[in-house]
Amino acid sequence: MDTTPVTAPGNDILVAEEVTKVFPGVIANDAVNLNVRRGEIHCLLGENGAGKTTLADILYGVYRPDDGRVLLNGEPLDLHSPRDAIEAGIGMVHQHFELVPPMSVIENVVIGTGAKQWLDLSEARRRLEEFFADYDVEIDPDAEVGRLSVGEQQWVEIFKTLYFGVEILILDEPTAVLTPQGVDELFRILRQMRDEGLTIILITHKLREVIALSDRVTVLRRGEVVGTVNTADVEQRDLARMMVGRDVLMQADKAQHDTGEVVLKIDDIHLASDTGRGSLKGLSLDVRGGEILGIAGVSGNGQNALFDAVVGVRHPEQGTIRIADADTTHAPPHKVALQGVASVPGDRIAQGLMMDFSVKENLILGNQRARRFARAGVLNRAEIDRFADESIEHFEIKTPSASQTTSTLSGGNLQKIIMARELSGEPRLIIVHQPTRGLDIAASEYVRRRLIEERDRGVAVLLMSEDLDEIFQLSDRIAVIYDGRIDYVAEPEATSLEEIGLYMAGVVEAAGAAP
Amino acid sequence: MSDSGTSQQADEAAGSAGGSPPRGRDLRTALMQPDGWRLERRLEVRPTYELYATVIALAITAVLIGLLVLLVGVSPFDAFSSLYEGAFGDRESALETLVQSTPLILTGLAAAVAFRAGVWNIGGQGQFIAGAIGTFFVYDMFPGLPAPLLIVAMLVGAAVFGAIWATVASVLLVRYNTNEILTTVMLNFVIDYFLSWLLSGVWQASNTPYSQTERMAENTYLPRFFDDSRLHWGFAIALIAAAFVHFMMRRTSMGFEFRAIGVNKRAASYKGINTAVSIVAVMAVSGALAGLAGAGELLGLHHRINFEFGEQQIGFTGIIIALVARLHPVGVIAVAIAFAGLVNGATQMQISTGIPAALVTVIEGVALVLVLVAAVACRYRLRRGAVHADESAEGSE
Repeated sequence: MDTTPVTAPGNDILVAEEVTKVFPGVIANDAVNLNVRRGEIHCLLGENGAGKTTLADILYGVYRPDDGRVLLNGEPLDLHSPRDAIEAGIGMVHQHFELVPPMSVIENVVIGTGAKQWLDLSEARRRLEEFFADYDVEIDPDAEVGRLSVGEQQWVEIFKTLYFGVEILILDEPTAVLTPQGVDELFRILRQMRDEGLTIILITHKLREVIALSDRVTVLRRGEVVGTVNTADVEQRDLARMMVGRDVLMQADKAQHDTGEVVLKIDDIHLASDTGRGSLKGLSLDVRGGEILGIAGVSGNGQNALFDAVVGVRHPEQGTIRIADADTTHAPPHKVALQGVASVPGDRIAQGLMMDFSVKENLILGNQRARRFARAGVLNRAEIDRFADESIEHFEIKTPSASQTTSTLSGGNLQKIIMARELSGEPRLIIVHQPTRGLDIAASEYVRRRLIEERDRGVAVLLMSEDLDEIFQLSDRIAVIYDGRIDYVAEPEATSLEEIGLYMAGVVEAAGAAP
Repeated sequence: MSDSGTSQQADEAAGSAGGSPPRGRDLRTALMQPDGWRLERRLEVRPTYELYATVIALAITAVLIGLLVLLVGVSPFDAFSSLYEGAFGDRESALETLVQSTPLILTGLAAAVAFRAGVWNIGGQGQFIAGAIGTFFVYDMFPGLPAPLLIVAMLVGAAVFGAIWATVASVLLVRYNTNEILTTVMLNFVIDYFLSWLLSGVWQASNTPYSQTERMAENTYLPRFFDDSRLHWGFAIALIAAAFVHFMMRRTSMGFEFRAIGVNKRAASYKGINTAVSIVAVMAVSGALAGLAGAGELLGLHHRINFEFGEQQIGFTGIIIALVARLHPVGVIAVAIAFAGLVNGATQMQISTGIPAALVTVIEGVALVLVLVAAVACRYRLRRGAVHADESAEGSE
């Protein structure tokens, strides 16, 4: 737990009063009250869809509230755009960076600093170097931003915002792209900034970060404020209850049991990607029946290529992939699927679903030629309907009917459609990428429970996730992917978050790691 | 990395919190903005909305064309009624309209099938010509066949030639990733000149200075339905083709795959659909349909190919028809008949009101633009005042 700074009561810097924002079909913020004090780190905690980002976007001038008002230093604030917000001293770093990759760090920093006739970079360079020295960050001001690591890009983004001279910094899920060490580093510097007088609003759905960093926390649920508390007065469990509205299982139940034969064996595969980022460079792994192999890693280290190689969308230039007894190195996706491989892709909308199709059509996608659903090339509609109704019931998919257009469903239900489809064929290997990204806690719990059930049934599960808690919760063995290779595999009991983090960052080389 | 940017956050919010009831606060918001209109995206676009939007677009087309006619100093009522008279006014003209619609239905279907699969076949015109060439080729090759068999063989030949011509473009697409819009358009020119070469060379009728083939034997004529009309079996073939297309797209595995690659090619390939095979297949079907249109015109009406054969630009009109019909096979039939009626009625209109028949092209163009606008517009709705967490979120958690 951290030191709580001395904050004079009543010294509110930014206040939202009864702020309401409505989007089609939903109230994103319903009479939200928020008071942020000068010089504190204030967390906005909530699940996906709780309205955190909407609220922040209102404070930053992206949206105008439909009702209610925002006060800065007691004065009503009327923002029409982020530019207004920056002039008022409020800056925000979004989750998706707004940087120009081919330009240098300095150039990115001075973009948008005003209509001067001549561009003078020397002042920017001086301040930038000062800033990096102050906070002990090592980035070359002349480096091309596109070549920096994601963590470094985040620093550029943060400094770009501070360069405008803001007093309040809003950060939207800043830790999503960082290794555990990167998170520690970020938090250290954020504390230093706070101590120097900056007010920080941090959006997150991770309880641990709230506890580790914040002075106070405001919890949102379904667009409403559940409450604001001093972080020192609460524990993770309390926050979880506030966030979800009920008690939450902090651990998934997972019984010990024996593993079977090797189902997936990948041997030294190489696969170059077009951009050079995310290539596979001699990756090997194996997964046995009845075990979950969790692959941790910062995104962009080859996860997508690995997924594509296993399901057969791309083929390695070198090395072999064997599923059970078959060599599927060069097999196309439908042949791979015939080996009993189910796949849940990382981007469920782009890779997993036909958003304009009906729910039932998505439930048979890929099986449209299977004997069960088609005779002589003609779809068996009665059987498809029966299967769809069965799946909807069995997987608790909330939809008005099987004929509903898929695009109208929520993220959790989309994932359930994919799970229902993929698990229906009684697979022997399941490869899942980011299975709970963007899902609320209930849906996430559901997906994790299903994966454990499949593992208990003897299925081999290859789980790739950037959520380390998820990896630790579910995995029987944990592997770390870094720069297209896996050089570290360990059982969760035999390793630690810190150790995994070092391998994720590529700090530790492969020496002596267990295979 | 969780995926909620600013807009996604709104979407996500829309997805997960739809159940919360509207509150008093909304009422206050509504009172504060008594005249606030807002445009919002519909969560679901029902097919009926699309139908209404299309009908409204066509109505606006009529009004705009009426104004244009008024500008020339003719009563729109006179213009439209003479147009209608010429198109559907009596039995003779109505049947003639169906005659004109026959090839349009087929090239409209050809475009609709390909567009549904996200393949932009703009080569209907060339495949139409290829179909006519295929028909005559079979006629030329097998002079001894008995009539019924010969007709069937010629229709098959037309479909195959149309399909082959489309396949040239689709193979280039899947093999070398060439843009099919460009290749299909360019292939239209290639086949045009190829036909000219045939007509002035190997297929040129003897004893004539014209670039045309011999007149085909009478036993190759498609039978006519009535003694007093040119309406031939080609129209029935077109209707059967529409039924076939509808069945194929909605009820078969192959049609499912065609629609899948049209909606999301990436997800289709992840789920094991061979997109290259599907693209080649759908282009072949598309080309075969356009080819049949060529056979119908040749065997039902013209009975010889001459240099005017492709002048009506049947293939290009088919593209407009498919888009106005929103790619629905049944809609294609209706729109093709309506367009044929315009062409057919325009002569009558020109005679009785002096408005040039070329106005038809303007009508087609305006209708196309407005229907496309309507297709986008019906995804939104205009609401007054505050919005409530409303019925449209019924599908969410």
